[in-house]
Amino acid sequence: MPAKRALIMHRDDNVATAVEEIQPGDEVAIPVAGTVLALRATESIPFGFKIALLDIPQGDIIRKYGETIGKASLAISKGALVHIHNLEGTRARGDLAKGGKS
Amino acid sequence: MSFLGYVRSDGSVGTRNYVLVIPQGIIAKSICDFVAGTKSILTVDHGSGRTANDREQIARLLIGLGRNPNVASVIVHAASPGVGYPELRAERLADEIAASGKRVEVLDPAKDSGTYGAIVRGIQLARMMVYEASKLRRERVGDEHLCLGVKCGYSDTTSGIAGNPAVGYLYDKVVAAGGTALFGETTEIIGAEQALARRAASPEVAEAILRAVTIQEERAKATGLDIRTVNPVPSNIKGGISSLEEKSLGAIHKAGTALIQGVLKYAEPPSRKGLYFVDNWMGHLSIFAGYAAAGANVVLFQLGGGGVAGRTLLEGSPSVVAPFLWATANPKTYAAATDSIDFYSGTVIDGSETPEEAGERFYRTVIDIASGTLSRSETLHYTEPIDMYLQEPRF
Repeated sequence: MPAKRALIMHRDDNVATAVEEIQPGDEVAIPVAGTVLALRATESIPFGFKIALLDIPQGDIIRKYGETIGKASLAISKGALVHIHNLEGTRARGDLAKGGKS
Repeated sequence: MSFLGYVRSDGSVGTRNYVLVIPQGIIAKSICDFVAGTKSILTVDHGSGRTANDREQIARLLIGLGRNPNVASVIVHAASPGVGYPELRAERLADEIAASGKRVEVLDPAKDSGTYGAIVRGIQLARMMVYEASKLRRERVGDEHLCLGVKCGYSDTTSGIAGNPAVGYLYDKVVAAGGTALFGETTEIIGAEQALARRAASPEVAEAILRAVTIQEERAKATGLDIRTVNPVPSNIKGGISSLEEKSLGAIHKAGTALIQGVLKYAEPPSRKGLYFVDNWMGHLSIFAGYAAAGANVVLFQLGGGGVAGRTLLEGSPSVVAPFLWATANPKTYAAATDSIDFYSGTVIDGSETPEEAGERFYRTVIDIASGTLSRSETLHYTEPIDMYLQEPRF
């Protein structure tokens, strides 16, 4: 079966965006600067959702477009889905500004 | 390149040729119901009980719409509840619009035999004004006369990958040709403001971008809410966007790569050509009328739609006098709403077009619509009400 496609927006990113429906166990091919990064999805990654390109420890920065899009609220393993269950935005957080309330 | 437009006496160029009747109300509505080729604004807020800043904002919107190059001539009526305030006097609005060289007529029920009398006189005037406007012919003009405004909405991850980059290509091309391009949505640059500030034409502009973000972020924090319960909105999250920062970093791709010449207020016209950031709010019923008042002669809604797939869009134009285009890069959105979409760039995702090829095609679509081809939403009579971006309390 041909590898499923995902796109990386910047070479420093640690996530890529699925442009096909990806099933657990699927091989995923990500074009990066003339070569292709291959990894195996461990979970379903719907079209338009993000897949972790490497293990991301809890609290580490998640990067897309070469910029920070949030931090890992849980440890994320390579090939896993990255979304609101394990990625936490850090900007404009009124709940955090009030101190401790979450 | 070039397009076919209506050259106005002040040198600006319209893509349409309307007679505008303002402000809203029974007089404007009755004239527009009766006379072809007219436009009015539909909104519930007439300025009564508003602060001076907000009244001035309303005035700026109305004056700006009147001065928009897509407007041939204007009727201003004095029957609005807000008209007693100095900012919103009919004569003041009329004078500032007339300074652009356009014909402006004022209707006043106190002088025109009441509301019925004002309606009758307005219909008579509007018929002659539309007739006169119809004598003007389109002429071939350069792209420096294009002024675009954009918002991205129902964003999903196709917006950042293929939708907004196509807009960015178009924006770069129009700015390089000497035209004007407006983008905004201050909440949606939170997390991407440093990337934008690096593109400011001067340190003052960089500071103004960062200041707009700081004010908006402090406002968000003051609510005590987790912003993620508000923005990204549920359809964004359903479309794969995980944080406000991710949304912002995708959103700024629509601004291309040109230098940012300044930061404008809602409905404020730029003083020169080039790319401008507008400190406005994302709502599509708010933002597009503001762009039109700033002088935009074509406006674009770059749509993700992943979170609202299955909806056939049939919304009318919320930009009053500027032709309004829908664009998407999401194949599901396009399949669901092909009738309503003016431009599709999902080809970049499936690899059948490069972003540059899609951007060129987008540019040609905009040129066609600027030259008179109807946008899909213009084929509808339906007009959206306008939600003016007013920020101060009412009393």
